[in-house]
Amino acid sequence: MSQVMIATDKLSKSFSSGGVQQHVLKNLDLEILSGDFTVIMGSSGAGKSTLMYALSGMDKPTLGSITYFDQEIAKLSNDKLAVFRRLNCGFVFQQMFLLDNMSILDNILAAGLLVSNDRKAITARAKELLAQVGLTELIWSKFPTQLSGGEAQRAAIVRALINQPKVVFADEPTGALNSASGKAVLDVLTDLNSRGQSIIMVTHDLKSARRGNRILYMRDGVIHGICNLGKYVSGDRERHGKLQAFLTEMGW
Amino acid sequence: MRKLAMLSFANIRKTKGHTVSLLLMFLIAGLLLNAGSLVFVNFGSFFEKVTKELKTTDVYYIMPSHLYNGEVDKYIRNNKNVSNMQKEEVIWAQASIPYNDDTREISFILNDADKERDFSKWKFVGEHLPPDSMSIYVPYLLNIDGGYKLNDKVKMKFDDAALTFTIKGFTEDAFFSSLDTINLGTYLPHETYEKVVQKLGDKYSATLIFADLDKVNNEVETGIRELVQPDQKATLSMVEDTRTLSSSDIELLRTSRTFMSSMASVMAMAFAFIIAIVCLIVVRFRIGNSIEEDMSKIGSLRAIGYTSRQIILSIVMQYMLIALVGSIAGISLSYLTTPILSDIFAHQSGLMWVQGFDGAISSIILSAILFVVIIVSFISSGRIRKLNPIVALRGGITTHNFRKNYLPLHKSIGSLPVVLGFKSMLQSRKHSFMIGVILAAVSFASTFGAVMFYNTVIDTQAFAKTPGIELSNAVAILNSDAEQPKLVDNIKNMKNVRKVQYIDESKVKIENYDVTAYVMEDFSTKETNTVFKGRYPLHSNEVVLAGILADKMDKKIGDRVMIKVGAKQAEYMITGLSQGANMGGMNASIRWDGILKVNPDFKQQSLQIYLNKNSKADEFVNKLESDYGDSIVTSVDMDKIMDDGMGMYISIVSKLGMGMMVITIVVVILVLYFVIISSVIRKKRELGIQKAIGFTTFQLMNQLSLGFLPPIIIGVLFGSAVGITLTNPLMSVAMRAMGIMKAQFVIATSWISLFGVALVVVSYCTSMLITYRIRKISAYALVSE
Repeated sequence: MSQVMIATDKLSKSFSSGGVQQHVLKNLDLEILSGDFTVIMGSSGAGKSTLMYALSGMDKPTLGSITYFDQEIAKLSNDKLAVFRRLNCGFVFQQMFLLDNMSILDNILAAGLLVSNDRKAITARAKELLAQVGLTELIWSKFPTQLSGGEAQRAAIVRALINQPKVVFADEPTGALNSASGKAVLDVLTDLNSRGQSIIMVTHDLKSARRGNRILYMRDGVIHGICNLGKYVSGDRERHGKLQAFLTEMGW
Repeated sequence: MRKLAMLSFANIRKTKGHTVSLLLMFLIAGLLLNAGSLVFVNFGSFFEKVTKELKTTDVYYIMPSHLYNGEVDKYIRNNKNVSNMQKEEVIWAQASIPYNDDTREISFILNDADKERDFSKWKFVGEHLPPDSMSIYVPYLLNIDGGYKLNDKVKMKFDDAALTFTIKGFTEDAFFSSLDTINLGTYLPHETYEKVVQKLGDKYSATLIFADLDKVNNEVETGIRELVQPDQKATLSMVEDTRTLSSSDIELLRTSRTFMSSMASVMAMAFAFIIAIVCLIVVRFRIGNSIEEDMSKIGSLRAIGYTSRQIILSIVMQYMLIALVGSIAGISLSYLTTPILSDIFAHQSGLMWVQGFDGAISSIILSAILFVVIIVSFISSGRIRKLNPIVALRGGITTHNFRKNYLPLHKSIGSLPVVLGFKSMLQSRKHSFMIGVILAAVSFASTFGAVMFYNTVIDTQAFAKTPGIELSNAVAILNSDAEQPKLVDNIKNMKNVRKVQYIDESKVKIENYDVTAYVMEDFSTKETNTVFKGRYPLHSNEVVLAGILADKMDKKIGDRVMIKVGAKQAEYMITGLSQGANMGGMNASIRWDGILKVNPDFKQQSLQIYLNKNSKADEFVNKLESDYGDSIVTSVDMDKIMDDGMGMYISIVSKLGMGMMVITIVVVILVLYFVIISSVIRKKRELGIQKAIGFTTFQLMNQLSLGFLPPIIIGVLFGSAVGITLTNPLMSVAMRAMGIMKAQFVIATSWISLFGVALVVVSYCTSMLITYRIRKISAYALVSE
């Protein structure tokens, strides 16, 4: 039985734009289990990314609480949230957001050395992870701008994993990649999840969504529907149909 | 044009912080440059204006009336070099007066105010009151420096009489208005003058002659001296000599009365020049950065039809406007400082300098600043010409061109923020270099200021030694008929006396130059070493010449010169060059057995007395007077003379030094604000990413601040080292005109180091404060924008 990793209670997020209040998340009560590959889907403006960044401590909710295991994070200061993120979360962004002025290896170590002073151990782990995602030694010393999109995203995944986070947040990780690179990135994420890594991913892409075992569909700031697909197995046609039916039902 | 102005104003509005800091820098540069130029150009010419207005003659001579006989009168009137002369009977006496809660011994010339003068006139400064009984008009110096006001009583204590006057006005003349020019002139209404003459008798009657010379030299003075002391000149001590004939020419006066202002203005202008260069470096840096930041905006402008020339002109206009407003504000403010500067300089010059608006100087300063700003901004924004509009619209493709991964994290040691800070520094080498250069420039200026401050406030010994006067605590002029060896022994055995020795002065002629020679038995015991090249004389046929004198004579060490006193002359070899402002640098040093060769009757009279540390010279002089008053002509409290004489210089130079240090800190803060804010804006994305992966605001503040630290430290070290090395040579050049060939100010490395450390700490704290705005950069904004 999986443990509840993140739980929200009446989670709300509003923005004020030109004096008009916009309620992006509305009283969300949600539980995400440890070890799940949770996919958040929905149309544009549904609040997918807002929810994911609120859950990750990157943004603060307007109202409500977020409990991460036993820790309430919604009221933490910005610096405490930064420490929370470095210890518990890994991030994979659509635009990768690697530091252009650092080599690939340094990008990963910059995150790793925030948590551990054991330079040797962190370097060894970084190299091991890089090799695991198929990035050869040749590109470790290259700068992000010298890499292809797929390579850069895989490097970003390694950066997200370097501190052995309890959860990896991925925001449209294949959005900026061609299909081959996108598949390679999804394979890495699926493999990670199969080894117990919790993943929360926001996506528009059906192929990507299919990799998750639990699909949350958002509309107008609320969870409109949930679909449990079970563990991903390559070539599972039934899974694809089930997801498509769910999405059709949701009006996607 | 209107469109360009709109673009410029939009840029200014967008970068308010940068605009304000740059504006402040231009304000400081404009203020210092204009104030320095006003003083440099106008203070000297103000003195010229005063001399012209008052029809000041080239020279004056004053001597006791009984020495001014028909022969002297005839000599002056018939001298071909004398084109104009005017004679006047005056009272010439040494008197002490209360001066600023103290007492000062001053050589006064009391003139009859109602006597008409054709030349070397005097005038009132400010308001004056109608005279009543015992009224006096005194130099403006007594008001600004001496603390006297109108209707105040001033008590003059002469040797054997005391007179109390009421001050009814303050005056200005060219020759007698400053303590630096030997005699101070006062003017008495005729009735008062007559009363004073009656009271003092003939003892202080003197003849004052003003003369215009065709060729200004001391030939006439030498002629008068030979007439008034044909037999006595060999035996007269310097003190007696100055009471026999006193003279000065207008050139010497100009140097002495405007020296401080010239030096101060040169220092202010040099400093302002450094600040102006710093402004230009910052402008260049800012333009480079704004092109990178506004790349897409430039692309949009190009896309809608603006030409690169128009965009460049809008940038040039933007910086020109900032420079214009800042400089005009600075130049305007500088006019508020001129009354303050006038007051400061008046303590030394005795001149009430009134500076109105000087359109010519201010226009030149403003135009010069604008010209260089236009050139620098035009050149710096030139790269816009090469920008492809599409590339610019995409934000540029060559903005980040990293070639080398400095300090790879897996190999580097040290904490993460330190390594990342250094990494960032190495990647932004141009910026680091710029910060280093700016810090080096201002550290150099502040080191100079710190040296001046140290030497005028903390340890004044070197400053006091600058004029070249022996720093004894007291001087006793012994009666020539006193039993000297016994008297000297007695003085030597007085309480608190550490050492006594003779250092006399004697007028000699060296290769047609009238020179004051310092005479000693053994120069090795002299405590103020003024020889900057070679050595003091060890034998009777050796002489040391003042460097400025040797220059004039075109002589060097090893050359021989003829020294003459009266009809006797002998040849001496130059063994060294000395320095010292005393006697306008026209001095020499010769051994006692050396002077006897040309002046066999020379008698030592001037006994320098050195007291133990913490002894009081005034108490000692009183005791000396009471114990041996009959055997000495006079005694002088040298500590007080030095304190009085150096006070005003110390006050001016210390204020200048302090000002330079304060402005340095202000400029460093402004520059860092400018550079760091730019850096934070430029690195917004990078900082957002770092925040997302878990860096705290404090870690990022530290990372950025530490990245600036190495160029700051290197700049401060380099600037301070150059300051340490060059302060004395630069001061030597600045003071050469007054006879200082090799300045020997104490370079207090501990103080300079302390100030350097303070500068680094201030810089680091400023960086941390400025980078605190990183807290506003949110990781979420990065992904949501």
